[in-house]
Amino acid sequence: MSILHVKDLHLGFKTLTGQVDVLHGIDLDIAAGEKVALVGESGSGKSVTARIVLGLLQETRTARINGTVQFDGSDINAMSARDRAALRGTEMSMIFQDPTSSLNPMFTIGNQFTEVLRRRDPKLSKAASHARATALLDEVAIPDPARVLGAYPFQLSGGMNQRVMIAMALANKPKLLLADEPGTALDVSVQAQTLTMMRDMVEQNGTSVLFISHNLGVVREFADRVYVIYRGNIVEDGSTDALFANPQHAYTRALMSAVPRITGAGLPEVPEVSDDFLAPRIRHGDAS
Amino acid sequence: MSLLSLNGLTKTFETPTGPVHAVSNVSLDVQAGECLAIVGESGSGKTTIANMILGILSATSGEVAFDGQTLSAKRTAEQRRRIQLVQQNPLSSLNPKRSIGASVRLGLDVYDIGEKSQRWTAVEAALDAVGLPGNMRTRAPASLSGGQRQRVSIARALACDPRLLVLDEPTSALDVLVQARVLRLLNGLRSKHGLTYIFITHDLAVVRNVADRVAVFQSGQLVELGETAQIFSAPQAAYTRQLIGAVPVVDAAELNLRNKLAEGV
Repeated sequence: MSILHVKDLHLGFKTLTGQVDVLHGIDLDIAAGEKVALVGESGSGKSVTARIVLGLLQETRTARINGTVQFDGSDINAMSARDRAALRGTEMSMIFQDPTSSLNPMFTIGNQFTEVLRRRDPKLSKAASHARATALLDEVAIPDPARVLGAYPFQLSGGMNQRVMIAMALANKPKLLLADEPGTALDVSVQAQTLTMMRDMVEQNGTSVLFISHNLGVVREFADRVYVIYRGNIVEDGSTDALFANPQHAYTRALMSAVPRITGAGLPEVPEVSDDFLAPRIRHGDAS
Repeated sequence: MSLLSLNGLTKTFETPTGPVHAVSNVSLDVQAGECLAIVGESGSGKTTIANMILGILSATSGEVAFDGQTLSAKRTAEQRRRIQLVQQNPLSSLNPKRSIGASVRLGLDVYDIGEKSQRWTAVEAALDAVGLPGNMRTRAPASLSGGQRQRVSIARALACDPRLLVLDEPTSALDVLVQARVLRLLNGLRSKHGLTYIFITHDLAVVRNVADRVAVFQSGQLVELGETAQIFSAPQAAYTRQLIGAVPVVDAAELNLRNKLAEGV
């Protein structure tokens, strides 16, 4: 059964001059334990999709959301705001692009960790949360967890903060993790380490992941399946192997060709827009 | 002849916990017309070197020579004008309260370039050179896309008629399609205007496709310097192999290369 089932999702924003449509009927499924990537350029609708799944955009007055978003069998759109809020930080969690700015600069890591753990278990004692946080930081290979728990985010490196974020996001064993360009703000080598770390952790916990990125290289190394999104439409999807071996849609091909290669093929000419980018969706293999 | 020479360049920051050696005894030459990439992780000293080349920071010891002249701590307007910077995040490097035209024009006014009456024309020409319509000059940075803003930053640098551009992570904040277009633009401008680039980045895949030579830095030290093709086919330093090994790749040929290099570690 799928953890996340999105069917014919439409999103528009009401503005002074009328409605601006952002998503034009997105279909997307994530099975239990599956790592799925949503790839596209800035403004394609990746992040708003994640915000709908999290139940955040539903709180925005100007947003007009239509379609089905089922999380673990229940319809997110039909839930009350309170029920949606209860899911966040427990059943689903999120990792953002820039770890340092998504941690609160005014509180120690330990303090913020306690807050996270108490979302699942409100009566958790300070000592118990400290012990649990220490164990979790140890799992993400943070040396000297006790020191890190007493530190403020600015006292840690970006890579450290990212690992703290991963540990926090997985602390309550969520069913679904949303990762929005995790590590884009980090160095290539630190990024590689944290992604490997994240992959190992979600595989251990059996957590499903919706991984949002514009970096196809990162997607290839992380995801089991890929959806390519362009201007609010899914244009191609399939298993990572199938999609990378044989990209069919004109937009996917443009996206692939734009990635600089370490084998040095020079810089490709990328068309600004092409009618081919609006061609119908292509599905690889067993369409789910 | 080399356009820029760094001789024993060193920068040490004094901190309460003791001195931090940000850049240690770096010597290298940049030839006129070449694109030299400076790569390394955060904290490797890339940006500190750039700041010393630009004269934003003074060196603790060693010197920067440009076009045969040693640059002193106090540079002449002429010297400053010929070395220009393009920063990583155009949203924070462009003044949000200024129209983009005013930002581009600033250099012309500061360095007193051309007739006053001709300066708006020069601004429009600079915008045109980076593929933006001249009538866009009245717009604010916030109303532009990320790629357009980075083009404005490049136009601003170009308007000063520089010889050397220091590009500090110019495409790291952009997505791949926009990055590809901006990199092509930079390549075209270099040959058209005979520019020399110092391209600072941690993205080795970009380096492979834009740089003539690569300088690899680790903890403020130059650990490897060589022709781009050479560095990528037979990197000498273990650190260089490690950096290349961390690049996420998309096709089989790249994977082969990466695996081959990993075996050498």
